[in-house]
Amino acid sequence: MDLGLNIASAGMLAEQTQEDQLSNDLANASTPGFKASSSVQQSFGDMLLYNTKTGQYVGQIQTGVEVKKGTTDLAQGPLNPTGDPLDFAITGSGFFAVKTASGVQYTRNGQFSKNNQGVLVDQVGDDVLSQSGSPIQVGASGTVPPTALGVFALKNPSQLGNNNFSGTSAGRGTGQVESGQLEGSGVDPIQAMVQMESALDAYTAGQQTIGTIGQTMQESASSVGSIP
Amino acid sequence: MLEGLYSAAAGMETAQTQLDTVSNNIANEDTPGYQAQLLGFSDLLYTTDDDDPSTAIVGSGSTAQTVGFSQTQGSIQQTGNPLDLALDGSGYFEVRQPDGTTGLTRNGTFELNAAGQITTNLGMELQPPITLPKGTTASQVSIGTDGTVSVNNQKIGKIQIVNVTAPDKLLPQGSSVYSATAASGPITAAKGVTVQQGYLEQSNVDLDSEITNMETANQAYDMGSKAISFESQFGEIAATLK
Repeated sequence: MDLGLNIASAGMLAEQTQEDQLSNDLANASTPGFKASSSVQQSFGDMLLYNTKTGQYVGQIQTGVEVKKGTTDLAQGPLNPTGDPLDFAITGSGFFAVKTASGVQYTRNGQFSKNNQGVLVDQVGDDVLSQSGSPIQVGASGTVPPTALGVFALKNPSQLGNNNFSGTSAGRGTGQVESGQLEGSGVDPIQAMVQMESALDAYTAGQQTIGTIGQTMQESASSVGSIP
Repeated sequence: MLEGLYSAAAGMETAQTQLDTVSNNIANEDTPGYQAQLLGFSDLLYTTDDDDPSTAIVGSGSTAQTVGFSQTQGSIQQTGNPLDLALDGSGYFEVRQPDGTTGLTRNGTFELNAAGQITTNLGMELQPPITLPKGTTASQVSIGTDGTVSVNNQKIGKIQIVNVTAPDKLLPQGSSVYSATAASGPITAAKGVTVQQGYLEQSNVDLDSEITNMETANQAYDMGSKAISFESQFGEIAATLK
């Protein structure tokens, strides 16, 4: 098949993935501590071209793009004061740790509360952990000193949903915990909208390319070699 | 491609939930003792599509749910009515709901019923009940900061102020009355709360932040609908391929 068709369709698939990620980002523009995901587009390996008769090197041709991997933009989100003493935000890098049924997971969403045992828990009731990995008791005044919360550096953080990340803990994070604040979503809605528009344009261009290649193929199938 | 459509729709639902919550809070701005509903947001599961040429993970939108009630002290306003009681500190009045179960409320608009019992403005009696001597008028009632009720300097009873371990996990029953749940923990005597006679605690709704939330939700809703339109254009373009 024509190489151009492959290149164009690979490009269109990559744009589709990006558009889906942007939709998800926009939907999470209000989720505290949310980190936008983006895909890295990378070209497939270049093909080297040689003259078939002489074997002389002619040049190289690219074979399109693929979505190499997803990355998460861990940039600091804005801090929004809430006045709730059990809302926490990390300034700088690092994650809070919560003990879920499927092991320890990590989050930047510090919207915590107290459970019926007086222990600090996240939205779904999982214990928030201290630096030593133990649950945190809320004081009689209904507050927890920010230093009681563990901040963990994370290797290869990967989004799991429900505000949580998986990853390998790599000791203490450098970020500082502040109470009475929540970290806003890392999504810039305006930027996301612009990117959606540009992904759509690239997608349209791909479709046009496929149309044009289709025409040339049709031409060669019907006209080449025909007796005038 | 359809994933994006669904996550945008999920985002619009989240915005809708936020708008509903904001409306409810604003509507109750003048309800004494009302505690603003708090929302928690979260992202949904992420998937890697095996058919996709990529290893990129794509999320499936967001969701919002009520995670509790603001425990901020509402401002205390003087009314002069001897049966208006405000709580200063974390705690609740214990009342008997029409179905006989125990209810908790911070709405201190109390009245006397025909039997001389102190009830809420909806007729729920205080628990344990406090019955005033026959013929007592509201102006003769004096209530101390610890809840002791006296009529003409004679002690009649004590209003019980209670609390639970996790007040924001109480189950709202409507009319500013809550029920204790397993998640909130059992009802125990409250500590460090004072009763202020002749005052009412206003709702703790922060109008400024509610209006800001409303604006945010509105924008999120608009953006969600634009995202859906983008995604559907992708579909249209794909359908023209031949």
